[in-house]
Amino acid sequence: VPDQELSGKASRPTGGQAPASKPAPSAAAPAAPGDKPGRPPAPDTVTLTIDGRSVTVPKGTLVVEAAKLVNIEVPVFCYHHKLDPVGACRLCLVEISPGPPKPTTACTTPAADGMVVRTNSPLAVESRADILEYELVNHPLDCPICDKGGECPLQDYTFRHGYPTSRIDAPRLHFRKPIPLSENIALDRERCVLCYRCTRYYDEIAWSQELTTDRRGIHSFITSQFEEPLQSIFSGNIIDLCPVGALTSRVWRFESRPWDMDPTPSVCSRCSVGCNVTLWQRRHELVRVTSRENDDIDEGWICDRGRFEYTDVNSPVRIRTPRVGGAPSTWDSALETLLEGIKGRKLGIFLPQDVTNEELYLLRRLVDGPWKGGRVAIEGRTALPAPTGETLTIKDLDGCKAIVVIASDTAEDVPIVNLRVKKAASKLGAKLIVVHPDELDLDRRQETHHVTVAPGKAADAVRRLAGHELLREGPVGILYGDGRGTEDVDELGKAVADLAETVGARVMPLYRATNERGALAVGLDGRLEDLEGCDAVILWRAGRAPSTARFVAAWDSLPRPEQERADVVLPSATFAETQGSYTNLDGRVQFAHPVLRATLPLRESWEVLSEIGQRLGVEGMDYLGVFQIQREASGLVEAFAALADPPSGDPAPTPVMHGPARP
Amino acid sequence: MTGERSVNLRGSYGPARDHLLTGLFGTEGLHKLSVYKENGGFSSLRKAIFDMTPDEIAAEVKTSGLRGRGGAGFPTGTKWGFIPKNVPGPKYVVVNGDEAEPGTTKDRYIMENSPHMLLEGIMIACFAIGAHQAWIYLRGEYDGPFRMLTAAIAELREDGLLGDRPFDRDYPLDIGIYRGHGAYICGEETALLESLEGHRPQPRARPPFPAVKGAWGRPTLINNVETLSTVPWIVKHGGAEYAKFGKGTAKGTRLVSVSGNVQNPGVYEIEIGISFRDVIMGLAGGPPPGRQVKAFWPGGCSAPVLPGDWGLDVSTDLDEVARAGSMAGSGGIIVMDDTHCMVKAARRLLQFYAGESCGKCTPCRVGGDWALRTYDRVLAGQGSEVELGIFDSIQESLQNGRCLCALGDSAGFVIASTMKHYRSEYEEHCIEHRCSVEDEVVAASA
Repeated sequence: VPDQELSGKASRPTGGQAPASKPAPSAAAPAAPGDKPGRPPAPDTVTLTIDGRSVTVPKGTLVVEAAKLVNIEVPVFCYHHKLDPVGACRLCLVEISPGPPKPTTACTTPAADGMVVRTNSPLAVESRADILEYELVNHPLDCPICDKGGECPLQDYTFRHGYPTSRIDAPRLHFRKPIPLSENIALDRERCVLCYRCTRYYDEIAWSQELTTDRRGIHSFITSQFEEPLQSIFSGNIIDLCPVGALTSRVWRFESRPWDMDPTPSVCSRCSVGCNVTLWQRRHELVRVTSRENDDIDEGWICDRGRFEYTDVNSPVRIRTPRVGGAPSTWDSALETLLEGIKGRKLGIFLPQDVTNEELYLLRRLVDGPWKGGRVAIEGRTALPAPTGETLTIKDLDGCKAIVVIASDTAEDVPIVNLRVKKAASKLGAKLIVVHPDELDLDRRQETHHVTVAPGKAADAVRRLAGHELLREGPVGILYGDGRGTEDVDELGKAVADLAETVGARVMPLYRATNERGALAVGLDGRLEDLEGCDAVILWRAGRAPSTARFVAAWDSLPRPEQERADVVLPSATFAETQGSYTNLDGRVQFAHPVLRATLPLRESWEVLSEIGQRLGVEGMDYLGVFQIQREASGLVEAFAALADPPSGDPAPTPVMHGPARP
Repeated sequence: MTGERSVNLRGSYGPARDHLLTGLFGTEGLHKLSVYKENGGFSSLRKAIFDMTPDEIAAEVKTSGLRGRGGAGFPTGTKWGFIPKNVPGPKYVVVNGDEAEPGTTKDRYIMENSPHMLLEGIMIACFAIGAHQAWIYLRGEYDGPFRMLTAAIAELREDGLLGDRPFDRDYPLDIGIYRGHGAYICGEETALLESLEGHRPQPRARPPFPAVKGAWGRPTLINNVETLSTVPWIVKHGGAEYAKFGKGTAKGTRLVSVSGNVQNPGVYEIEIGISFRDVIMGLAGGPPPGRQVKAFWPGGCSAPVLPGDWGLDVSTDLDEVARAGSMAGSGGIIVMDDTHCMVKAARRLLQFYAGESCGKCTPCRVGGDWALRTYDRVLAGQGSEVELGIFDSIQESLQNGRCLCALGDSAGFVIASTMKHYRSEYEEHCIEHRCSVEDEVVAASA
């Protein structure tokens, strides 16, 4: 076990890593208003007029995006700012001059200098209303029971752009429904408007051709390939993409009406990427998780782990009462038993991977003080050492001309980084080299150069990459993992550093645990096996008591077999009840907000830790709130500098991504 | 019709040695390379390769005034000029042989009679734009043409005209055949490319145009079978000679396939500019005795219908047909006599367009089917003024660039043109629930 000493104020436990303090993406938005993904705007700009309003945009900006900037809604179904335009739904028809006197799709037309766009001419208005009428010819209009009802672009556009009366009295087409596309997603083909966002997402973004269209004409429908269940870990994003209620979450299906839920902007706690999410609460239950676009991190995508694995929070068997010796008890006696039990013993603490920076800071204080010598391990920790110097960030991948992914199945380890690598390769033209024993999903693209290595031998292969023809043009980004423990990380780290030196690359170590970098920053970075030999352990939603343990405390949210040996059981808050921050693999500190309130006997973890500190007589552990901890930690831990300035109010959440929806 | 000509031309059915395109048709064994060569075949290609530069070939084609025979009538020379020069990487020539337009059989006529003439035209086009590979996208049902073209290509490969060194020049050439699987939409050039690449045949949004980004993202020249089959003649005799035929901006001769209520249906080579009366009443022998031409589709059923009374006097000149409110299109002339109900005819055509809609864009996918169901209701005697309004708005929302490709426009043309010229029949069906044409009262109800 390394010496885990936090030496007072001069704390630089991780070396000089830069605090993540880039401006929020929304602040930087006007520079590149949603230009086609994959095409950075040319330096020069063009000025056009839309409904009499002049707007200057970067060259290459699509008319539909330019209109957004002057608050003009051009309705869209098939267009999505992260997907290549197709011009299929024809809902964005506008009149453009100079040009032939006919309506043109705003989603496929780049803005040009002197262009005059009319979205409100009689022809344009009628063209769009006609499309909306068409969309409703066979639509089941089951809005009263539709999960999308209330946040549905088809409803909103029909209201704002459609005809006020209906001429449709013919029988509607019917499909078998709902179709379970997977365990998590249901497809309603009658509601589908065939915008192909889902199939295009699967092709363009996820590189996993599991979704397609079958039949033709009016009988066209979306289907999974060979009607097999969707396998991709990125499948849930099609629910957010769907502009109608055709793709719905089976986890949330018929759970609540959209307007009946309260959204809370937060950060996903499932891995080190730190995707921004919106957590939706109804009647004190977490009922839905959706993406919240942040172009620095996730670009609006989240993985299925983050989207669907939240139901434990609402579990009826949640532990909510402390127990001592198997019997219900109070916090007072439970904490007393705990402190009594570990007194004089060799203490080991297992941390959950989503322990917050604030909780880590408090633990660090305890380990520096009364629990000196205690060992701390974080669940899911890779073997990777703390970063030295500045690391490559997720956003930097966009600028890379070549990317090397070493010893990591990124789809499994850091899913949304995997999508960013795919984007760099397929949309931005980066060369891609994968060094891994197995065929990975990054190899689905023919152009990917795969280097097969025996497990544990990645370092040799990395050394041979120096001078590789695909790495001649920079900037080069190197992503490396620990091969899930199979690689000798010292040797691999050295080989990676040498390669980076040779080709002038920057490196992104692929930490896995949600707050692994936070733990590294305060030096609480042991691994589970480090706790062998401890005779008193605290199992905080993680770990297993070693055989040597004579005192076991479980601090958990759900019953687990490990608790049978526990002398004391404390109820633990989950990510949904936690206020605090995580440090993602970029080193960026992001703030999670509790969507559910921790009400007694459930207590927030920082509060419990601070009470333990007070009971042990640690000076200044009587924090009044998490902000106080944040302010203190920001001054002491360089990596936590961003804690000094928590966002005063997060940007309004965007519950479901769709096109411009401003009237 | 203008100037001195090297050949004398009449409308024809069957062999007539004077014709530009079909002159050799009917020659015993013309589909064989040896016979084709004996009759002057591949001399144009030899001339193109040895005596002309690619730019000169393209210039001749431009001078000829040849306009695409697939339906849109785009000037062929201009299209060739769109192919970027001096770009690294491959370019392709893709031949649109997906002749699926109802009433059109001219490409099949060419391929079955003189496959080598088409292949020669393709090879000249390859040389002119700097392509080494051509693909013939062939309608799946065309089994005969497929076997003849396959055999012809095998002969060329054996002869060395296709291969690494045709005419011993370092200019590798190859032609492949890709068979469609029975979708009308594959005749649309971008859907054709999608299909050729192995994807679902659905049109792409343009720009980029295929000339810049076509098959597999490369510059691609897409021409119709008849268009390319005309090229050898133009190269041999010169563009100016070709331009002596025809009328206005529509030069040369073209094949028309006449079908429907005529006594002599078939494919005829005509000089552009003769009237539809000459074609329908003259060459094709007119309708059966005692009947009148009620209506005809001048360029496949995708062209708006023209009424028989004044339409017959319209010239086959592309511009004049356009002025008459229709299109010369693919040259498939469908004739309907006065025993037929126009609403029923329109319904049958809508059935085709609704069934062949690829489903990609909303107006065509939904509009076609909705129109079809509305026709069914009207023909079942359940129509009303509402249905007239539905027809009106559907035809409008299918046309004028509101759909992704021209298939939707075509469906719109059917409704629009039949309503324009035969509105009384529509009103009779919708309001009175009867059909005076077929002299029967549609079951009244509603």
